[in-house]
Amino acid sequence: MDWLSAVNLDGLAAVDFRWLGLVLELILMPLIAFVVGLGLVLMLRKIAARLQRRVGPPLSQPLWDIIKLHAKETQTSHGLIHEIGIVMAIGGYVAAVTLLPVPGMNGLAQQGGLIALLYMTMIPSLGLALGVGQCANPNGSIGISRALTAMLAYDVPLVIVIFGVAFHFGSLNLVHMIAAQQAGGIASWGIVQMPLLALAGLFALQGMLGKQPFEIYVAPAEIATGPMVEMGGKFLGGLFVMQCFQLYTAGVLYVTLFLGGGEHWLTFLFKVFVVTAIPMTIAMVFPRYRTEDMVRLFWKWPTMIGLLGIAFVMN
Amino acid sequence: MTHIDQVPTPGAPLPVEIGVTPGAKRTNPFAQVFDELVRFAQSRSLFMLHYCTGCGAVELPPAMTARFDMERLGIQPMVSPRQADILLITGYVSVKTLKRVILTYEQMNSPKYVIGICSCTVNGGMYWQSYATAKKLNDYMPVDIYIAGCMPRPEAVIEGLRGLIENIRNGRADAWKDYYRRYDHYLGNQQRLFGADWQTPTDVIAEARHYDLFGPATLGAHTALLEQHQRPLEALAMRIEIPELMRRRSRADQGGTAQ
Repeated sequence: MDWLSAVNLDGLAAVDFRWLGLVLELILMPLIAFVVGLGLVLMLRKIAARLQRRVGPPLSQPLWDIIKLHAKETQTSHGLIHEIGIVMAIGGYVAAVTLLPVPGMNGLAQQGGLIALLYMTMIPSLGLALGVGQCANPNGSIGISRALTAMLAYDVPLVIVIFGVAFHFGSLNLVHMIAAQQAGGIASWGIVQMPLLALAGLFALQGMLGKQPFEIYVAPAEIATGPMVEMGGKFLGGLFVMQCFQLYTAGVLYVTLFLGGGEHWLTFLFKVFVVTAIPMTIAMVFPRYRTEDMVRLFWKWPTMIGLLGIAFVMN
Repeated sequence: MTHIDQVPTPGAPLPVEIGVTPGAKRTNPFAQVFDELVRFAQSRSLFMLHYCTGCGAVELPPAMTARFDMERLGIQPMVSPRQADILLITGYVSVKTLKRVILTYEQMNSPKYVIGICSCTVNGGMYWQSYATAKKLNDYMPVDIYIAGCMPRPEAVIEGLRGLIENIRNGRADAWKDYYRRYDHYLGNQQRLFGADWQTPTDVIAEARHYDLFGPATLGAHTALLEQHQRPLEALAMRIEIPELMRRRSRADQGGTAQ
């Protein structure tokens, strides 16, 4: 028993256990994002139903959809890249979610920052492009080329907005931005300080979520849901999971940049749901633009509003 | 091919596969809970591909929109066969249409359900004497539910869908397995209409083997005939044939040589 007495137990107190907390956060954050995302998907479908004077789906509909799709007994795979593409699509958003600070959890936000987050949100589109490419369905190819064109369109105003916000706060760190906004109250929120950038950001959000005026790459009646055309069973289920993460990421990013993040979960979730409801409400009264019209519109109006906003911020 | 033309005697029980009890429970209690959950999810979430061939399609918009709202039951329209669970045939199927319906059906992922709406899918309806109309849909693919009427009102359509939901909950909606287990029967009927060299892009026999759905009647005289004519599928050649573009290109070529 000599070796036991030789162990210096005093040293245990000095061992850093903070990494355990980080691991817990990295597991919890995507899980919370998924559950909140299910709620967001439900809200979008309910809004669509109410605007059409329908009752809409029951409360747990998004969950049943995902379970059902994964429980399909025959799955049509078009090859390895098809499957990896879906993994990339979900994985990109899971990584993005760990970079977004939420009340009580910072995850990797201190280490990552805004630029890393932007990179992560582009991975899903590229993963989807790989996966759809292997399906060799012409509708899918048209859809994914439109999706990437749409990304090119809304990324210009988005990058301008991100630049303006980062310039205003003097930092690319999301934790610092939230702290600065919460210290000064509503008067220091991004939406009060930079209303033009907030407006341009809302435009970019509409394109990012691919909602109706800019729904060019889904277009069910035209190219049969584009990238999703060959996706059945677990592949479509994976995309439904991705949609939950996508809505959550977009909503939380906007809340963090312009609405002061969240002091606690109640106000935070309220803000996220309100922000995500705006694009859907706008979407239901619009038809679809053509691809070139969307690019032209995005490179003209939100870009101009964003540049004007930057001029005010730099003043 | 004589036995295909046999007409079943009225009132006789339908042939049931021996050893396969509908809704059979697994012994593991956890597996039972899991199966129950999956069946519930499958019954509460149905994506519908409507193949609108006839006048019955008129009754679907009211069933989907504000008045009757199918989304309450978790039923929503989808646009591609890969995503769909239900194939809704609304009206008569002509010989030419039936080919497309079968291609669509074979591309769907199982479990899949077929619903025949209107009398035309049941027995040909008012097209009984037509030379170009397939009379009974369930000769060519297994049908889960027929909704008779000319045309059935949206209430009847929703009542039929509720029946399907009930069947899925009880594990009785497994007609899709019949297509794999008795493929020879269905293929025989298809060959009778479309000719001996009828072939679809989906290899049903290989799928039956892969998913362990092989039955004693999967192979037979008709699948042997299929194997004689079967050509291996090849990827389509990549080429663009836009007349406008080709004309412009040839004109440019001529201009180039003239200079």
